[in-house]
Amino acid sequence: MHWINWTIVAVYILYVVVDGIRRSKDTDSLAGFFVANKSLSWWVVGLSVMATQLSAITMIGTPGQGATDGIRFIQFYFGLPIAMVILGVTLVPFLHGSGVYTAYEFLERRFDARTRSLTAFLFLLSRGMSAGTIIAAPGVVLSAIFGIPLVWAVALIGVPTVLYTMIGGVQAVAWADVKQMFLIVFALLAIVVVLVLQMPVSPDDALRIAGATGRLQAFDFSFDLNETYTFWGGIIGGTFLMLSYFGTDQSQVQRYLTARSVDDARSSLLMSAYWKIPLQLLVLLVGVGIFVYYQFVRPPLLYNPAHESAVVDTRGDAYASLQQRYEDVFTLRSDAALAVADAADEAIGSVAMEVFLEREAEIQGIRGEALAMAEEVTGESSRDVNYIVPRFALSELPIGLAGLFIAGVLAAAMSSISSELNSLATTSIIDFYRRWVKPEATDAHYLLVSKGATAFWGVFACVVATFAATLGSLIEVVNRFGSFFYGSILGVFILAMIPRTTGRGSFFGLIAGMSLVGFVNFRMPEVAFLWHNVIGAVAVVVVGLVLSATDRGGAPEEREAA
Amino acid sequence: MSQKSTPTRAEARARFRRTLIQVLLVQLVAIAALAALQLRYGL
Repeated sequence: MHWINWTIVAVYILYVVVDGIRRSKDTDSLAGFFVANKSLSWWVVGLSVMATQLSAITMIGTPGQGATDGIRFIQFYFGLPIAMVILGVTLVPFLHGSGVYTAYEFLERRFDARTRSLTAFLFLLSRGMSAGTIIAAPGVVLSAIFGIPLVWAVALIGVPTVLYTMIGGVQAVAWADVKQMFLIVFALLAIVVVLVLQMPVSPDDALRIAGATGRLQAFDFSFDLNETYTFWGGIIGGTFLMLSYFGTDQSQVQRYLTARSVDDARSSLLMSAYWKIPLQLLVLLVGVGIFVYYQFVRPPLLYNPAHESAVVDTRGDAYASLQQRYEDVFTLRSDAALAVADAADEAIGSVAMEVFLEREAEIQGIRGEALAMAEEVTGESSRDVNYIVPRFALSELPIGLAGLFIAGVLAAAMSSISSELNSLATTSIIDFYRRWVKPEATDAHYLLVSKGATAFWGVFACVVATFAATLGSLIEVVNRFGSFFYGSILGVFILAMIPRTTGRGSFFGLIAGMSLVGFVNFRMPEVAFLWHNVIGAVAVVVVGLVLSATDRGGAPEEREAA
Repeated sequence: MSQKSTPTRAEARARFRRTLIQVLLVQLVAIAALAALQLRYGL
């Protein structure tokens, strides 16, 4: 990468850390460190909420998905606006008004300590591992692209993030999120402008070529529980997932607990309700645009440079002949794409389209062979899709913009990780340390251990990320396990808002919900994971209500008191 | 000095309805735009 690009990346990292330290002056109390003394405006919180959700995987994986699979992933977000409105009138006023630091603390006030501790423990388990994954994903890509050891790439992302999160607390996290969000959107828009300017065909023709390959198919209206991305899966399963993520996951709840009023907290969530789908569409369309651009400019056969050199080293001859075939067919496909764009009438257009689709299928076949070869040689799954956008940015964007894009990827990674570290530290200290270990201590003491906890989780995430390749299957298991209880935890919070439900009902309801989702996951693996959230939440509510009703019948409160 | 009053249940319900309608309308526009894209350029 050009030195100007590296300078931009270095200036960005330095700025984020210095700004974080500057924000530390108002964080000398626990309320300052964890909830910014409830002082932030709706737009700061709103951008922080969006930046937390948008990780580096969204910056590199999602456009890659757009390039290879089209925009149908957008359906995943259809439930988000509905979830935000529901949360605005239900959980948000409850949580913001109750003066808690964590969502789980609220559960003890409403139910009992065991429900609080179990949900908080589940959060620490899943988010602790996912913090490692969200550093690992961009870390692995940056390490392969720049040819640097993974540990350096992890340190490049992890060290500055831990520093500003530890020193500046939630205030530094929120304000850094604001700037990071602007940087991310700017980087994405810059790619769109470059694509439009450098594309050899008009935007209308580009969309026609993309549409011909099915990449503009946004909707699948089939009610198929086995398909992840369908309209109904997005609307129903997506609503439950988003209710759970924004309503019960401390990494998001803590964002709006910093809002200066309930109205500001509500408005901050509504920002996502209005802007998340357009933003996600922009990300996917960037990928679709890159796909069309690569019809006319020959991309590498394998996007992952590490895999490419491994294949060249071990299967040089076979790869060279594949490469030759690829170049030949590429030229033919490129001509066919131009013919589609230049077609004078519909009849000529449909013939040209047919030829183009044949060539495209041939290219996909050759690429499939190359990917299989790479997987065989390296013993790793290729995940080539994650390298499409970074390689495009480095080879096609002008000097300066490429650096800005890499800074954008780092910003997306940091904005998610900082919120996770911040919330992991908060839950560790508030729900465990202060609750069970040292209930009576000064703010200064809690502040010190909170900073220690932030550093601990930061180091833990970096270690998990560094060993991501070796821990691959373990991380996958933990992530899958995480999806077992997401909907179930939502069920507990729904019970919390229903009058006269009991602690016993919520605790055993939670266990029943997780068990049912576990059963569905293992016995009916064909059911798409979005539906797990619906199943878990409904099971917890039903079991919780039944147990609460029996408790009321036998006056368990009296029994427990006795 | 006037004091800001707490919204009544009816006011809160009306506000919820308004917000819900606004968000759903925006979502409808987004879905319509996606549908137009799919109809115009999709197979």
